[in-house]
Amino acid sequence: MSTAQRSDPVSREMQNAFVDGQLDAAEWAALLERIGSDADLRIEICELRATQDMVRNAYADVMPRARPAAAGWRSWGLAATLLACVAAGWFAHGLLETGRGPVGASGAAALRSVDANRILVHVSSGQRESLRTALDEVEDLLRSARTAGRGVEVEIVANSTGLDLLRSDASPYLARVSALRREFPNLTFFACNQTIERLRERGVTVDLLPGVHVAPSALDQVVKRLHGGWVYIRA
Amino acid sequence: MPFLRLFGPSGEFRRRIEQSRDMLYRLAYAWCHDAPLADDLAQEALLHALAREAQLRDPERLKSWLCAILANCLKDHHRRRRDHLSIDGIEESATDAGATPEALAAVTELAQRVRAEVARLPLGQRQVLTLVDLEGFSYAEVGEILAVPIGTVMSRLCRARQALREPLMGFATTPAARIRSVK
Repeated sequence: MSTAQRSDPVSREMQNAFVDGQLDAAEWAALLERIGSDADLRIEICELRATQDMVRNAYADVMPRARPAAAGWRSWGLAATLLACVAAGWFAHGLLETGRGPVGASGAAALRSVDANRILVHVSSGQRESLRTALDEVEDLLRSARTAGRGVEVEIVANSTGLDLLRSDASPYLARVSALRREFPNLTFFACNQTIERLRERGVTVDLLPGVHVAPSALDQVVKRLHGGWVYIRA
Repeated sequence: MPFLRLFGPSGEFRRRIEQSRDMLYRLAYAWCHDAPLADDLAQEALLHALAREAQLRDPERLKSWLCAILANCLKDHHRRRRDHLSIDGIEESATDAGATPEALAAVTELAQRVRAEVARLPLGQRQVLTLVDLEGFSYAEVGEILAVPIGTVMSRLCRARQALREPLMGFATTPAARIRSVK
């Protein structure tokens, strides 16, 4: 940003940068002097500040709806040390590489290699391939544990379009989910109530498969399990 | 096939995530003006963050990292809903569903009237404006969060405030408005 010459009009970008504290000291001082001698510019700046204040105040009291007390958010600070289960090299990404595209281990043996007895698998995508892979991984894990004589507990928590997995009216893997539930009593399914509510608000009837539990939200269930020392795996 | 993300978040990381939930919700609401959707977006962003702690190389930048995740969650939401439109088109087009001028004009409270004006801005302008005004991010940080050049941040912010000034000054009884009225 270059400092405006005294005779030049001060650009709107410069005015905004002044209001937002984005100018360096010299630029700021030069513009401040200019403001002192230019009544029109003073009004411009004053209105910009007022606009900013009004926007700020308009959202000051926006808060999420009350969350269930049992969810354990407020007791996170007391949680015991959790099992770190981070595959080396998976996270060699930049700070702002976020939320996009799969980041993870390759190979179907990834979940089987998890050295933990209580594992939460979170499913948020309704894509058939993604759901099938998640079920494959969970089944592999449960069989491996059974063969090794290792007692494990696994929860599949579904939200967003991933909820389709647990809907009797929408699941592409109805028979398989039911079969897994029958074969592995140590496998539990949870549906996100927040997602169910959204669907119902849109007039969608949600019928869950038998035996599927409902959590207040996927996030609350994940937090609750983390508090209990579970390992969280995002499919 | 890439599949899993494993993690074991530290207590400190989780505590800071917990403290960020309200901030993310407020920002999501300011972007979409739809309370249920804001809830979903904030939840999704936090779940992403919980699964990716190790990607956060500088803990001091947790807030901007979370906001970047939130921005991507919103993009993904639009992509799912309108995959026939380009994201750029959405960012430059005005007014989200659920925040129609007719519906929002019906409210009378000043805060709600201001929100209605913000909701009329194109998404890209709305995001820049609220990241700067509500969360106090620098222009450089906003550029990183939204993955746009700083010049784009400045021009979007400039257009957003220009669009808001007249209607907001009309609502206000601030000294600025009074000065303007007697000028």
